[in-house]
Amino acid sequence: MIFAFGGLLLAGVIHIAVVFLVPYYSTRDAWARLSSLGADRQFHLLPLAAPGAEPLDSLDPHMLHAVCRFSLASDPVRIVATLPDDFWSIAVFDRRGRNVYSLDDRSAERSALDLEIITPVQMARLRQNPPASLDTAIVVELPIDEGFAVLRVFVGGGSVVARATEALQTANCSGAL
Amino acid sequence: MRLLIDIAVAIVIAATIGLGTAWYAVDHGTPFNALTIGAWTAYPLSGSPDADPYSIARLARTGEVPLGAGEGLAFTSENDSDGVPLAGNCTYAVAGQMLTARLWTLTAYGADGRLMATPAGRYSLDSREVVRRPDGSTDIAVSSAVQPGNWLPVAPLAHFKLMLRLYDTPVTIGGRAADLIMPSILRGRCH
Repeated sequence: MIFAFGGLLLAGVIHIAVVFLVPYYSTRDAWARLSSLGADRQFHLLPLAAPGAEPLDSLDPHMLHAVCRFSLASDPVRIVATLPDDFWSIAVFDRRGRNVYSLDDRSAERSALDLEIITPVQMARLRQNPPASLDTAIVVELPIDEGFAVLRVFVGGGSVVARATEALQTANCSGAL
Repeated sequence: MRLLIDIAVAIVIAATIGLGTAWYAVDHGTPFNALTIGAWTAYPLSGSPDADPYSIARLARTGEVPLGAGEGLAFTSENDSDGVPLAGNCTYAVAGQMLTARLWTLTAYGADGRLMATPAGRYSLDSREVVRRPDGSTDIAVSSAVQPGNWLPVAPLAHFKLMLRLYDTPVTIGGRAADLIMPSILRGRCH
């Protein structure tokens, strides 16, 4: 009896431990998959999702995606892109794939995206000697060490893919302010 | 000796139950805080920092990049409005008023969550392509056979699911579900 009770209790502990540990040991999460695309701190264009060729799970086939992985350990990340006038959006995820910031073209109120992702510590340092570009950029303070940004551009049935591809290929994800 | 065997058996049973239930809950469970409107369900929190531990574990297993709250909201449906699973051998009408959104896309996925290859070469539709009724409502035929009007082709597979992604929509978890209208999924003829 005591063993049955102890066994159930242990099962509960194992259940909880496994659920919390999965994210730390997964080799299939978005972060790991993006490493195969190439270097960090630069945008990589994903092919349009098609049957049997989905670059990541559940991407909208009517959107063209570009992703950029980054670490904020040494410097902030600045994302600069000139995007089409139609719908686009950007989402920033932390290392575990949780969405920590997102914005679409209407909220940005401009087609030229200039987004600075910065940790609170870096921001405090920057405020002592603020560069001029700090006024024009959208500054997002995020308490994360590592993460990735996903740019989505609406391409519909495919007629504007060329224009969207050009816009995403010139998107920059490297420099600081 | 008897004691050691009892302990070993208890540990093996505990590990099996613990691992088994964890695996099942992560891979087959549904996230908390569901927003259900008719046949459609969205999980506005599942990709956010407020997500429950099961949703975070599932994200790590699938590598999905969910829509952020500032981008839009994705609704899925595996059943028609009567609660019967969607089947590729039937024709469905996705009809009615849609939630306010600047742009939406409707995509058919197989039961495994992957895009389906269809004979028509298409597996999705967006709001720009769709012809609306004069009152602004939509009527989309979902079928593996060619349909007149708005047609979303699906593969003649056993089961499929629909994903309706609303971009730039004011709907959030704070919205009252009673005020929210989504199209119904009406089953037509099956063969």
